[in-house]
Amino acid sequence: MGLFRPEAREEMRALVIQLARLGDLLQSLPAITQLRACHPEASLDLLCPSHLAEVGRLLPGIEKVLEWDGAAWQRRARVAQDDLREEHLLEVDTTLTALAPDRYDCAYILNQHPRALLAASILAQEAKGPLLHGPLSDVLTPWAAYIRDVAQGRMGRRVHLADAFCGLCGVCPPGYVVTIAPPAVRLPEDLEPIGNHGAPWIALIVGAGETERFVPTAIWRRWIASFLERWPQGRVVLVGTECERAAEIQAPLSPMALGRIWDTTGRTSLSQLAAILARCHHTIGSDTGPLHLAAALGKPVMGWYFARARVHETGPYGSHHIVWQAQGMKSETWPVDETLAAMREQGHHAPIGWSVWMSHCDRWGTYYSSANQSAIPPREREALWQELGPALT
Amino acid sequence: MSYLAKNLEGLHKRYPELTHATRESSGGLLTVVPSREGSPSATHGGRWVHSGYDPRKEAQAWAEDQSREWKAGELGVVFGVGLLYHVEALVARKPQEATLAVVVPSVAELKDAASTRLMEAWVTGIEWIWGTPQAMARQLTAEPSPLRFMTYEPAARLHADAHRELEAELRHILAAKQGGRLHIAVIGPIYGGSLPIARHTVTALESLGHRVSWLDQSLYQASYETFASYRNPRHRLTMQSRFADLLSLGVVTHLAEDPPDLILALAQAPLNLAVLQHLRKKKFLTAMWFVENYRHLTYWQQLAGGYDYWFVIQKTSCFEALKRAGARQVSYLPMAADPTLHRPLRLTAAEQDEYGADVSFVGSGYANRRALLPRWLSKDWSFKLWGNEWEGADTLMSVLQRGGARIDTETCIKVFNATSVNLNLHSCAGDGLDPEADFVNPRTFELAACGAFQLVDKRALLPDLFDTRELVRFASVVEVPSLIRTWLDDVPGRRAISEAARRRVLAQHTYEHRMKELLATIGLHQPDRIGAIMRGDRNAEALVQRVDASSELASLLRRFPSDQRVELQDVAARIKAKGAGHELAREELLILMLDSYRTETRDLV
Repeated sequence: MGLFRPEAREEMRALVIQLARLGDLLQSLPAITQLRACHPEASLDLLCPSHLAEVGRLLPGIEKVLEWDGAAWQRRARVAQDDLREEHLLEVDTTLTALAPDRYDCAYILNQHPRALLAASILAQEAKGPLLHGPLSDVLTPWAAYIRDVAQGRMGRRVHLADAFCGLCGVCPPGYVVTIAPPAVRLPEDLEPIGNHGAPWIALIVGAGETERFVPTAIWRRWIASFLERWPQGRVVLVGTECERAAEIQAPLSPMALGRIWDTTGRTSLSQLAAILARCHHTIGSDTGPLHLAAALGKPVMGWYFARARVHETGPYGSHHIVWQAQGMKSETWPVDETLAAMREQGHHAPIGWSVWMSHCDRWGTYYSSANQSAIPPREREALWQELGPALT
Repeated sequence: MSYLAKNLEGLHKRYPELTHATRESSGGLLTVVPSREGSPSATHGGRWVHSGYDPRKEAQAWAEDQSREWKAGELGVVFGVGLLYHVEALVARKPQEATLAVVVPSVAELKDAASTRLMEAWVTGIEWIWGTPQAMARQLTAEPSPLRFMTYEPAARLHADAHRELEAELRHILAAKQGGRLHIAVIGPIYGGSLPIARHTVTALESLGHRVSWLDQSLYQASYETFASYRNPRHRLTMQSRFADLLSLGVVTHLAEDPPDLILALAQAPLNLAVLQHLRKKKFLTAMWFVENYRHLTYWQQLAGGYDYWFVIQKTSCFEALKRAGARQVSYLPMAADPTLHRPLRLTAAEQDEYGADVSFVGSGYANRRALLPRWLSKDWSFKLWGNEWEGADTLMSVLQRGGARIDTETCIKVFNATSVNLNLHSCAGDGLDPEADFVNPRTFELAACGAFQLVDKRALLPDLFDTRELVRFASVVEVPSLIRTWLDDVPGRRAISEAARRRVLAQHTYEHRMKELLATIGLHQPDRIGAIMRGDRNAEALVQRVDASSELASLLRRFPSDQRVELQDVAARIKAKGAGHELAREELLILMLDSYRTETRDLV
């Protein structure tokens, strides 16, 4: 599959559309890298939600980030719903024209949501992505069908979501780990010492986008207490937006412990969060945007995957990340001691009801193998690539 | 030249009669006093009409608040004259292509204003509405623009009755002109007296051509009653309350899936305050028809602030109580009958024998009925008592039918039709007539709609609904036997009265009339939403007229029947129906994009 049409002009313009959440945006990085590598002559822009634009600007290969203001669209929809008028269409037309005065030659759509498909049809002359016959079609491309199956919780076939995004764009996975550079941003003065003295610094993600992926605060508290006890020089940085959960975690801890905890929740922009994660030695949390951000920064990540999170499809992208995967939707036990043991390089163990996995990377992308065995690339990936995107092989 | 002369000179050209009447008025309604900052202020009856400190500043704050909702193209109608500071402030904030009218119930007040302050050019741009309430209503409804009412309360309260009359006239005119199809969700109670009224409401709204989502909570009655078997009252109340909360959430889920233009709840509907607040946050319009005696059922106190509109069957004291509890808008909406159900019947001889009597009473055994009905038994007439909850009423056991079983609506109607004199005694907790006899019960309208003769206890609100040629009423317990005797002997008289009462119901007191009135009231206060739909402004034809004839949107709109209400989702559905593979125009894509966000705007659950 080529990037552009045969009659391509000298300077072709393409747009990657990723309107989902932070984790999805970061997992678009391999696809963006490959699009850039395959077509160095093209300019490549990104359309992403406004609140993620600063992360979008960190992605290598992206020239310009177009911000999609979902809240403004909601307001406009409300007004148009109450009273449909021509001026409502003129207003949105003007907004879109300001966003992209000239239509792109091609849009790569990494969501299956109708608005991503429509945005592609409005902003670009040609759309490549999940649907075969335009935005009103319900016929999925093979890779889109695979991603839908993964999203709907059917049995995954061990192609990582980030690599499936590559397939959606018609490119192969990069075959190596792509990282983003930490942004040069100022932190609030009181957070500036993070990462400077003592070790190790652990970024702990206190919340999650969905409540079902919340690790109980008592468990985090136990993890922090154990960590601080075993690493007298260790520090914990609480990250995320859930200030109340962070307060709940800290409330019963001793003043001595509190002196080694840095609560950044609700205080940082995404760039500042990236800078903080880059200063930490490890990041630990459930399947969340910040976890993928840490992985994208090239930092070692330890994930606790439960509820509907599945390591093989959405584990942190890259090499040597460790993920504990719960077997059921909810867990009674948590890999507190096992995580600490892994940090001390005392082996990879899993509590009852969990398994432990480590990430590796090869020409078909990232895959996870049992952490206690040597890396064995799953053979079904190659077969899947041949089945879904034979031209790529 | 005096202020008065200068001001009236400006008005004279367009309003010669108003100018003359103002000049001739003696004025003196307001007491003009200087404010702290020096400009004139005013009082009436010892209460400030404008701020005693800084009337201009106060007026600007009021105007700022009012102008938030005022939209281009609307006619703003101000209630409250005073010294017109607030009107002047509003003129400065008038949206483009909007106009402003001021209602003048008293030329004396206008003279006070015109004599006190020099009104500059702004005064000539105002529409002055004056005359009788009927004349003012005609003037306002003759305007092509949607009306947006703005009340300056300190001055408006001087003429509250006149404003109410004007609003009532407006409602009647607008109710008669209603068009456009609304989507209304009706939420009834789990059980109880307001359940049949909820059903009548649904039927009436459907008959008027609206789309109705009937969220029938009576389906859950058996489950709800299961909780009544718990011995511990705390357990019972907790379970019933939690169950009602669950039903409330169920209602919200339904609303999220099929958002209506208006949510109409009947008394006892299981919607709690948290849900109502959530619905308001999501821009849903809510109304409650509280078909209960507010003095007996007092849960309205917790819900008053939750509904946008309250409709009640009582007047002054009820209005005040609800407003004190936080209600925004309270209106009077009396009970009614459904003439398709409540109707004259031709009974068979067997039915006449079973249901007929000289005198009947249908209803539950409230305390005053237990005390009074025995006094109206007589060997001179046959008497039948129908209904339940008469346990222990020993003196009535001989006339109680079907062992005091609950009787259904159809049986009620047969009894009404088969009885010569139907007694209609409003319930109360004492042992006599209701000492606070204001509202009129549904039975009054139902009996009248059946063409059945009734004797009803005197009610304060009855004269507005039926006159004495249509209903015979009694003011004391002792006069009932003689009234029964008189009317039993006067068959033609009974027939004349009952036929007149039925005609009155058909002309003014059906549920369709009530629903028109209810929607007109809401439309009056929501000119850009409910009002616009009812005016037909959202119909395809009206929409086409507002867009460039050559645009893609115009071509999309022309595909709908001209009188069909068309919304964003309807246009989107037409575009989607084109199916895959069709090249879509940019406007079509934009409509689909807006539509993809539409469902999120009502993302409730």
